[in-house]
Amino acid sequence: MSEVIVITSGKGGVGKTTTVANIGTGLAMMGKKVAVVDTDIGLRNLDVVLGLENRIVYNLVDVINGTCRLRQALIKDRRHQELYLLPSAQTKDKTAVSPEQMIKLVEDLREEFDYILLDCPAGIEQGFKNAIAGADKALVVTTPEVSAIRDADRIIGLLEAHDLRDIHLIINRLRPDMIARGDMMSVEDVIEILAVDLIGTILDDEQIVIATNQGEPLSGRNSQAEEEYYNICKRLMGEEIPFVPISRKRGFFKRLGSIFKK
Amino acid sequence: MRKAFFQGKSSSAGYARDRMKLLLISERIDCSPQMMKMLRKDIIHSVKKYITIDEEQVMLQISQEPPVLYASIPVQKKKDR
Repeated sequence: MSEVIVITSGKGGVGKTTTVANIGTGLAMMGKKVAVVDTDIGLRNLDVVLGLENRIVYNLVDVINGTCRLRQALIKDRRHQELYLLPSAQTKDKTAVSPEQMIKLVEDLREEFDYILLDCPAGIEQGFKNAIAGADKALVVTTPEVSAIRDADRIIGLLEAHDLRDIHLIINRLRPDMIARGDMMSVEDVIEILAVDLIGTILDDEQIVIATNQGEPLSGRNSQAEEEYYNICKRLMGEEIPFVPISRKRGFFKRLGSIFKK
Repeated sequence: MRKAFFQGKSSSAGYARDRMKLLLISERIDCSPQMMKMLRKDIIHSVKKYITIDEEQVMLQISQEPPVLYASIPVQKKKDR
């Protein structure tokens, strides 16, 4: 049984693509066959985060137009046997694809993969509608900022209006020091405001920037963010992983420990 | 009391949370924050006529799909009065 998961947020720049790259890599490392699909037509970026930008020949629009077969467009990640990328087109615009065509594409992918992760474009226009059309489940990414939360709320409303009700929340870029000072909304605050099921909390972690620079998600840096992405993968696979309170994550001693490791 | 302390001027997070709650509720039902405040006031006013309540703790919430208005109105016990 394969599962199609759309990763969306409404607002741009909250970490959708990074989330797709890390969850995709995590699931592949756990032995699942995973396809990550960049549905942001016109603005391609999942390929660079995964470090696969030099290997693109065909893209999503080529598959939909019948220029190539699906297998020809899928790029196999050399580091992870079970991870494949379907890149987006850069020359076309968002209207090049219809929701019906996306549903067809997703159905074809279902035959070969355990998990299909769709990286949704920011906004609520055509690209968003395409990305959510064939999905079974939605992960909404937000940060603890008013702009991102407001957009996340709009997105949740739209998902429900499109009858996509299996919705889970990822809160990204949390800073325990600011939360402790009362200058950043806490995980509890955000859940209370948005009233959706939580599936992951990611701290603001410079290792994510480093990993993205190198095009290597989840590459064993032993960071909190990495650990939490694994937890999200396990929760997606149905495991009950308890949530560690933010204040206790990455405590002083753990940090001290990682300094000595270097 | 503790909550009120943390929601004071020193906590920008508390301020953000209260703003977002009010804004999102009103956006979900197309009802301005101003109208929500008036609704809250009217509900308190109506209920107060019959039972003693903790006005400060009254909370209005609207669920998204389907939209339902929930009012949480803590009632004061006799001995607390």
